[in-house]
Amino acid sequence: MIPRLLEALAGRVAAADATLKTDDVLTLGVGSGGDCRVSGCRTRTSHLRVLLDGRIGCATASDEDQVELATRALAAAASGEELELHLPAPSPLPEVATWSPPAAAAPADALEGLARGLAERLARRDRRVETWAERSAGTVQVANTRHVLAAYDATLAGVGALVESLGPGAPPPIRVQTSAAALPELAEVEALVIEVERRLAPAVLQWPGPRFALLPVCFAPRAAVTLLRPLRAALLGREAWLGRSPFRGRLGELVCSERLSVADDPLVPGRPASRPLDDEGVPSRRLTLIDRGRLVAFACDLRTGVAAGVPSTGHAWRLPDAVPRVGFTNFLVGPGAETRASLLGSMSKGLLIEDLEWGPGLNPLGGVVAFRAPWAYMVDGGEIRGRVEGVSLSTNVFESLAHIRGIGDDATWLGSHCLPSLLLEGIGVSVTA
Amino acid sequence: MNQRFQDALRGARAGYAELRLRRVWSTTILIRDSTVEAATTSLETGGIARCCSPETGWGVTGWSDDEHLEAHLVRAHELSLAGGSRRPVRLAPIPVRQLEAAEPLPDDPREVPLHLKRRRAESLAGAILAVDRRVAEARLLYRDEVVETWLATSEGTWLHDLRPEVSVAALAVAEEEGNVERALGSLAARAGWRGLDAAGLMHEVAGRAIARLRATPLRPGRYTLVLDPAAAGALVHRAVAHIARPRLPGADPGVLVIGTRIGPECLTIGDDPSAEGLRASAPGDDEGTVARRTVIVQNGVVVGHLHSRETAGAAGFAPTGHARAGALRGAPYPRATNSYLAQGQGTLDDLLRDVPLGVYVTDVLSCDATGGRLSFRAGMARMIRSGRLAEAVKGVQIEADVLHLLGRVDAVAGDFTWDTRDEHCRDGNAGRVPITTGAPHVRLVDLAIAEGIS
Repeated sequence: MIPRLLEALAGRVAAADATLKTDDVLTLGVGSGGDCRVSGCRTRTSHLRVLLDGRIGCATASDEDQVELATRALAAAASGEELELHLPAPSPLPEVATWSPPAAAAPADALEGLARGLAERLARRDRRVETWAERSAGTVQVANTRHVLAAYDATLAGVGALVESLGPGAPPPIRVQTSAAALPELAEVEALVIEVERRLAPAVLQWPGPRFALLPVCFAPRAAVTLLRPLRAALLGREAWLGRSPFRGRLGELVCSERLSVADDPLVPGRPASRPLDDEGVPSRRLTLIDRGRLVAFACDLRTGVAAGVPSTGHAWRLPDAVPRVGFTNFLVGPGAETRASLLGSMSKGLLIEDLEWGPGLNPLGGVVAFRAPWAYMVDGGEIRGRVEGVSLSTNVFESLAHIRGIGDDATWLGSHCLPSLLLEGIGVSVTA
Repeated sequence: MNQRFQDALRGARAGYAELRLRRVWSTTILIRDSTVEAATTSLETGGIARCCSPETGWGVTGWSDDEHLEAHLVRAHELSLAGGSRRPVRLAPIPVRQLEAAEPLPDDPREVPLHLKRRRAESLAGAILAVDRRVAEARLLYRDEVVETWLATSEGTWLHDLRPEVSVAALAVAEEEGNVERALGSLAARAGWRGLDAAGLMHEVAGRAIARLRATPLRPGRYTLVLDPAAAGALVHRAVAHIARPRLPGADPGVLVIGTRIGPECLTIGDDPSAEGLRASAPGDDEGTVARRTVIVQNGVVVGHLHSRETAGAAGFAPTGHARAGALRGAPYPRATNSYLAQGQGTLDDLLRDVPLGVYVTDVLSCDATGGRLSFRAGMARMIRSGRLAEAVKGVQIEADVLHLLGRVDAVAGDFTWDTRDEHCRDGNAGRVPITTGAPHVRLVDLAIAEGIS
């Protein structure tokens, strides 16, 4: 469909590009009473962007009416952004595994086995456990008027659980899940069980005070994903090149602790955001963003690249109901050499945070953020003494990343993030319980 | 379309079958200062078929065109038979009705050329920048949409509905001597192209960003708190209405237990999808049940839940018309619509009068709850000193047990208003739905305010 659409537009516009994405999702959930529910969903989304008289027009649609889609994109161009967009020419694409035949063909029975297996491992008399398993199989087709025409198939499969403890003084519910191109293996399911049991084991502890203190805090991988949201925003797109990112204009400078290295890698085999090219037809490549504390690169797409005068790094995404936007693929933080026990041992008194809830701030790019930490544990003398309720954390993330005391060797894949534990100094800890 | 739906349903093999098709036309314009960053249109179609039989659970399938309705029903029926240990679904009965509510829109955003929308958005963004020289940056997101819905069931229900919505979200960045502050604001209306007057919002958002430049961080401690109607509405939604339904797979696990006292006599809370002209109002829900007002908390005691047909059938109640789909192709769950705190007596001045030292919260940023604990943050507030509003402060953050917090309410004013911000509610896998909240001013006594960011 896309080549015909672009062919029809070729004489009428200066340039055009399009994507067509299809997806077939099967989801199976197992409720706390053992009952199961099954749902499926098949979707397709077309995105068209045209360059007409120096202006950009974008349109999206979920049906197959190409004429209607083209008409709307052309109309949008009359009021669109002025931009000298240069589309990429065809070039060799890297190889990356994005497809798992067993995942693509997994029937409801296979998903039920996964979900029930996890439910059985987590079941206890004082818990309510829901689990689910899901697989999707889709295609992505990308083309433009410079004769790029590429496509790849992708699968995504996962299993997850919601574990709710019952009774007075019960801890908050836990959500855990794992996902990748292939169906989860036993070890990955077991890792979820281990995480749940580890988080639920310590008893609640009365915080000895003070109500507010600056303390060392160890962020486990799941918490680190949330903690680093301001860092990801600062490394991305227009804000990084031309906007209010604290890193703007600092390429080549030391911007955080030399312990920290950060990269984005769409070529890791079989991860949720792996792909051979981006949604604008730019071939994928690994991008080092921070190398031992030194700022090396920002991620950008064609549009940001034009504005900043730099080439695209292949980080464009097209989502339903949106113009192409820049975003990370598989975001990686390099592991350190320290075990978690060693990280905790280096704190005299502090907190271990297993998971965090993002608290929307007015200025995340400034790095000043506050988080709720329902999964916080008091650490004293290197030992976990108990779970602490009513904890919230406040800090300037960028200042904290300049003082990393340690990085764990426990880099863990959580969706499209692979992060280790981070031990940071001087985090504002407020306890209200 | 009606005939096509009926033909497809006639061949359905399940005991109960339901087809819903939704088509969304939308325009999005993003302005940064005086530059158009995006002007795009979208046309998205989403269908869902649900089937269940006396011995099966739900089978659900979604798709993205308006073809092959029979095939989608067959697949939904097959999925309803897949997997073991199915819990049979018992749907509470509803009157069968046929509602054709897709009247032509007098002010249809689809008829307005994109360049007019762009000009309006640019003008609004310009208004933010023109407020004061300290406003260094403005961003404006304009969005309109028209949603057409067709719903039919094997019981004979037929609904056809056409609804417009327009929304504007604004961000202002103010800068002075190296100090940078931001403020956000939004407006949304169930209306056509001319249905939203956002000029006042632009001034208000810019004014808040400037006010934050001079506001001082609030000192942590125990205070009397007075919430403005928007803040009180956010609290009532998240702490009460959001969890006022039976436990559901995939949804947030919290449930408000009927018969529990959650607050003082002055707390009466409900949800009203039949309220006139609000964003979450509708003649029927996504199962075809007539929308009706439901009281959740009466004088501080939980008395009712919001129900879908499934949850009502399981609990032995009547459906309340709160089954809402959180995605174009999502199954309906019981969800809040227009949540309200019923008005009490008196005015804001009456609430302030007896407060020697307190905080008046006017700019709620977020309100969320997990495992019975609630987190509330405000962008701006005013100190209350000797019964009067005093200097501006920032960094208000409350972390408290929900029941503890609601138990601190000691007065509810009589100045009820609906909040017209562009608000949505997320609930686990149940998706995201637009909501409205309404409340009067509310006073809470002796609350700990934590060290927050400012």
